[in-house]
Amino acid sequence: MRRKFGLILVTLMSLALVLGACGASNTGSKTSDGAENTTSAPGSDSGSGKKVTLSFWTLFSGGDGDNMQAMIDEFNKTHPDIQVKNTKLEWGEYYTKLITAVGNGNGPDVGISHTSRLPDLINQGVVSELDDVAQAAGVDWSSYNSNLLNATVVDGKHYAAPIDTHPFIMYYNKKLLKDAGLLGDDGKPVMEQSADGFVAFLEMLKQKLPSKVTPFALSNTNDDPYRLWWALYSQLGGNDVISDDLKKAALDADKGAKAADYIQKLYSNGYIKKNDPDFYKNFQSGTAAIMMTGVWATGTWEATKDLEFGAMPIPKIFDQAATWGDSHTIILPVAKKEDPDKAKAAMIFADWLASNGQTWAKAGHIPSKPSVLEKQEFKDLPYRSDYASVADTVKFNKPSTKNWQIRDNALFKYLNEVWTNKMSPADAMTKMQDAIQKVLDE
Amino acid sequence: MRISKLRADLLALLFLLPFVVIYVLFTIWPMIKGVEMTFYKWTLIKKMSYVGWDNYNRMLHDREVWEAIWHSTFFVILTTPTMIVLAIVLALIANRKSRLQKLYRTVFFIPSVLSVAVASFLGLFIFQPYMGFVNTFLHWIHLLPESSEIFWLTETGLSWVAVAVITLWWTVGFNFILYLSAMQEIPDEINEAARLDGANNWNIFWNITFPHLSPITKTITMLQIISSFKVFMQIYIITGGGPLDKTRPIIQLIYQTGFRKNDLGYAATMSYVVFVILLVLSAVQYWINNRKEA
Repeated sequence: MRRKFGLILVTLMSLALVLGACGASNTGSKTSDGAENTTSAPGSDSGSGKKVTLSFWTLFSGGDGDNMQAMIDEFNKTHPDIQVKNTKLEWGEYYTKLITAVGNGNGPDVGISHTSRLPDLINQGVVSELDDVAQAAGVDWSSYNSNLLNATVVDGKHYAAPIDTHPFIMYYNKKLLKDAGLLGDDGKPVMEQSADGFVAFLEMLKQKLPSKVTPFALSNTNDDPYRLWWALYSQLGGNDVISDDLKKAALDADKGAKAADYIQKLYSNGYIKKNDPDFYKNFQSGTAAIMMTGVWATGTWEATKDLEFGAMPIPKIFDQAATWGDSHTIILPVAKKEDPDKAKAAMIFADWLASNGQTWAKAGHIPSKPSVLEKQEFKDLPYRSDYASVADTVKFNKPSTKNWQIRDNALFKYLNEVWTNKMSPADAMTKMQDAIQKVLDE
Repeated sequence: MRISKLRADLLALLFLLPFVVIYVLFTIWPMIKGVEMTFYKWTLIKKMSYVGWDNYNRMLHDREVWEAIWHSTFFVILTTPTMIVLAIVLALIANRKSRLQKLYRTVFFIPSVLSVAVASFLGLFIFQPYMGFVNTFLHWIHLLPESSEIFWLTETGLSWVAVAVITLWWTVGFNFILYLSAMQEIPDEINEAARLDGANNWNIFWNITFPHLSPITKTITMLQIISSFKVFMQIYIITGGGPLDKTRPIIQLIYQTGFRKNDLGYAATMSYVVFVILLVLSAVQYWINNRKEA
């Protein structure tokens, strides 16, 4: 099975291209015929009376997947003219499938993209511009949180409707904090929000709690420590790792090293468990006092029996409040043959999802429209309001097409070495600068 | 006579046709298309522009590629001899007359039926710190102090050990069966005659069994080198190629270049270079084998 793997990958790809080319011409004409049949109502500028069917590709699983399906069902019930069909794809393969499908003309009518991935999709010609269709559908862009919306605007044009933001926040175990005498009467941690204050807080936890308890649950590699680094780097005033023209590596080495050094000490002083195989489980089973990850964990903790937890923005350790975050956005993939009715229906659907974010917030995400935060249904959800303000302080990536590559090939790699004490923060910054430039030059 | 032979040939061709069509369509044609890809900048979606020999040139100067090729080579060096020794030892154990003979055969072969993902995840659980089997066992026999942990999966040297052990455990079954059947073909008379002449077990193994296994050893060596060179999934799941890409094999780099960086032209170029390396290796092996037998 393994023997021909490399060859098979390449051959399959080329084959997909060959067959895809044939397939596209056939199915393309079929769907356009079908579309004509369903949407050829003369003078139907409101689109009423005729049904539009939209195919929607999503990458959500677990709680997210269920909530999205519930929202689609609700939308289909309240919009008899528009029927949305959900296709759930595996998250790891989602973008590859989306790009290839759109490339040979078989893409969906509606799709999902992360804000950080959007520039790459635009560059590859996968995503269509929304301004005209948004106007036709009566979308009011000012109803969106401007920090989230601006991150999806490229060259002054709208390309996506953000439905949420999922920033990096902090969770704490109320029982353990109480045992250590660090839980205030308001149910919030007693901690001075500063570099020394946070360390003192962890030191207290380490001393007061049994040695089996991890003061701070965090993975030792890749995403989550990187997100913490990004947050602290931004708190110090760091402004992404690339220049404004997106062509040069522009990591602020001093700030980057200072942030990395601070985190490295959290590891070497034993506040974070070394090579924790599963830091989610560590927190979930009540053996870790605090943990940091994306807001999507809220739903999981709620479903966990006997876990008394709280959620809050990550502490302001340095000069200004900032954190890592990304957004799920709704995109309209480029279609082989443009269909204004479909596009309009898709836009109505996208805006509806954003306006009804209270269901989506069940998984922990922060809705993208401030008006949703005022809805009673949202206020009835516990925890979310404690961190909803973070939406304004999320520091997004600049709109580079290489964001994910930089993260995977230049940042994770060297930061991981810093966490295990194998590389000094200053050395890592030098190496990262070179690696970022290499990715940008490729 | 002649006509009927021609008819028979045509008839045979007719029966072969379904296979030939599929083989050409799904194997030969993509291989040709793949060569074409190496001369283009080619994204996941489409052919972008003709770049001539640029992809090859870039590869010559790309340190990541040569490091990855070295990692695959290192994996071959690590697993091929150990695989052969282990397979022979297991076959010897299972070939002895014993009441447990059937049990041995089943137990040694069973890991081979697992898929690579299952085997790799078992490996992850076995080698992970704090609750993994290996560290818990070492704590239990007091070889490792209670307060310390060995990080099998995140230290370069140790993660090679972990990956090699899992691969051996998972794939040794097939080679074990090949050796076992070869051993059973050795006539009992030879062994009996040797015993009458006063040979001990070691003499019998070294002078009779091992030489009889030589043809199958050559075959296994060749198959093992090729399959080890193509290692990907176990490493991808167990170490992800880390730390610092120091365990990343060439196939993983090809995968990342093609499907993560959307650079299919360059990925195809690397694939063909690997293909040529394997072709040369097989040819050398074939040549050595034939020369000795002649």
